[in-house]
Amino acid sequence: MATSQKPVVGIPRALLYHRYAALWQTYFKSLGVETVVSAPTDRVIAEAGARAAGDEMCLSLKVYLGHVASLIGKCDCIFVPRIVDFGIRRVMCTTFEGLPDIVANVFRDEHLKVLSYNVNVQGGLGEKEAMIALGRELGFSRKAAKKAYKAGFAAQKAADDAAAAKAEKQYKAKGLKIILGAHRYVTEDAYYGRPVIQYLKEKGAEVILADAVERKSARRAARQFSPTMKWEVSREIAGSIAMHEHLADGIILMSVYPCALDSMVDDMIVRKLKDSGVPILTLTMDAQSGTAGLETRLESFLDILTLRRRAKQEVKA
Amino acid sequence: MSQNETKRKVAFPMIAHYNPAVKYLIEQGLGQIYVMQPAMTRRTMALGEKLAPDMVCTPFKTILGSMIEALEAGADTLIMTMGYCRLGYYGELAESILREQGYTFDYVNFAEYTTGRPKDYLKALKAITPHPRPPKVLKALKEALDMVQHIDDIECQYYMNCGFETEKGSFKAALNRFFKAMTSAKSRKDIDRGYRACLNAFETLPVKKPEPVLKVGLIGEYFTVMDAFSNLDLEQALADMGVEVHRWMNVSHRNLDYPGEKNLHVRIKDYCRYEMGPTSTANIWKAKKYAEDGFDGIIHVKSAGCTPEIEIMPVLRRISEDYKIPVLFLTYDTETATAGLMTRLEAFYDMIAMRRKVIL
Repeated sequence: MATSQKPVVGIPRALLYHRYAALWQTYFKSLGVETVVSAPTDRVIAEAGARAAGDEMCLSLKVYLGHVASLIGKCDCIFVPRIVDFGIRRVMCTTFEGLPDIVANVFRDEHLKVLSYNVNVQGGLGEKEAMIALGRELGFSRKAAKKAYKAGFAAQKAADDAAAAKAEKQYKAKGLKIILGAHRYVTEDAYYGRPVIQYLKEKGAEVILADAVERKSARRAARQFSPTMKWEVSREIAGSIAMHEHLADGIILMSVYPCALDSMVDDMIVRKLKDSGVPILTLTMDAQSGTAGLETRLESFLDILTLRRRAKQEVKA
Repeated sequence: MSQNETKRKVAFPMIAHYNPAVKYLIEQGLGQIYVMQPAMTRRTMALGEKLAPDMVCTPFKTILGSMIEALEAGADTLIMTMGYCRLGYYGELAESILREQGYTFDYVNFAEYTTGRPKDYLKALKAITPHPRPPKVLKALKEALDMVQHIDDIECQYYMNCGFETEKGSFKAALNRFFKAMTSAKSRKDIDRGYRACLNAFETLPVKKPEPVLKVGLIGEYFTVMDAFSNLDLEQALADMGVEVHRWMNVSHRNLDYPGEKNLHVRIKDYCRYEMGPTSTANIWKAKKYAEDGFDGIIHVKSAGCTPEIEIMPVLRRISEDYKIPVLFLTYDTETATAGLMTRLEAFYDMIAMRRKVIL
């Protein structure tokens, strides 16, 4: 398929792509490796994913498999990192541990080549070494791979810092402020999460992503909030909510069915914030209903928040 | 420990048949009283289900229910384990739920002591008994772990043979005597005597196995595959149909021997490049092994929403295709009922029995 010696790398626009887009893109660009990123999720991709996936898999994994399917024939290999953990009580959902092998087995008949890097800090493999090893596997020198990682890391940090700074600014906004606690691959998904954010924005709300936060502080806050919470991303979200809930008019916890982490973490967040009085709406999206029916719930939640805010202002006045 | 300290009444969630070993450690090693809650029933499940988040995996609900039943039985101290998957967060959420309900108890959650320094688990020990005597604790721990291995050995043999007994109920009676002996054991001698008596009984009890015998291998999620209440007594149901039931997954194999099973992933490298989850490698390897060993079928057991087990299903399907071995996937939630399960099991049995006839 490929005429050049270097392979064209297909990157599914799903799951951790939404967390590491800058790192991955810059890394491959720096190495001069051509990439093709799948299109934003649409109905076709979502349905292809649901067909390829097992019934019981979570919606986001189904979507991911739809993106993989859409890349077949457009690239020489599919880029599916394996990310287990970043240390003690800094683990990822087991989906990210199994993902390369899930993809390889689901699409075995398509003879997909899976390109991966393996982060497992408790097993002695950090992100930097993992991505250098990936570069070596692609036939580059250690030096070139290291340089590419460095560039990728810097780009990702800049993107994360900018997102956190933007969120901090949003917390100072005048409008109705809603913290959206959800995995980035849910909020960024064009077919499932984006429409929710779009709707809220149209109604004039300031939507602040909980995971847009200075991560170290968020993890520290999460440790206070719930000491044995052990999932990296959950800690960022829960910690960020703990840091900012007093600045918000309301919180929406948005999850996909069936999310293992959120099934416990969202419940804990609701418990811990019960006394704070801040209204919380929990939303779960599944493959059947998608975003249908959500608007009614969002609308009434917005009404509640508006009334509460007005009441508060009257008390002040 | 000084004499005038009052003893704690310690309980642990009901987990498969291992509670006698926990009891042994608590009483003989730590000098406290162990409170054994009743075996789990639909009530246990209902208690847990009412208070637990909807979408959490089923074992959380049964474990929560079993904690409540332990408190009702008079426990004042609850111990909870850590774990690799969501299990590692069970402890904190369960505590928060129980406290909100107004239960008072002391709580030792091992997940809090998981810091990367194994020494910190000593702190958990001290939370149970302020002045543990290390030699005594270590001796009791060793004996309790031996008991765990005995329990696993006896259970393995039981489910491989009980379906072929010629005196109805004879194996079950021996098994019940064994668990009684383990529950009341106060010394290594008691443990060994009970174990040997059961081994003896199993050896001498008359059985009539057809040749060849139908063999089914069970794999799946750590808790549900081991816990007879949670899987609706799946192993017994299969045995009663006249199947030799094999289940590798147990505490001895997964936790005590497993660290010695280095490089297990090499045996499944045709299917997986990496470990896919806490018990995934073992389950995939064992499925492949059952297939290679000419088993008639494999049953994969899990609770609803168990992510790591859901995600190895594509791999198990490949093994099923490659080795032409039927795999039955069972998912248990709080609604799963015996009748529905039996229909599926009977159909599965008919299928593997018919295949066997065709192959012969």
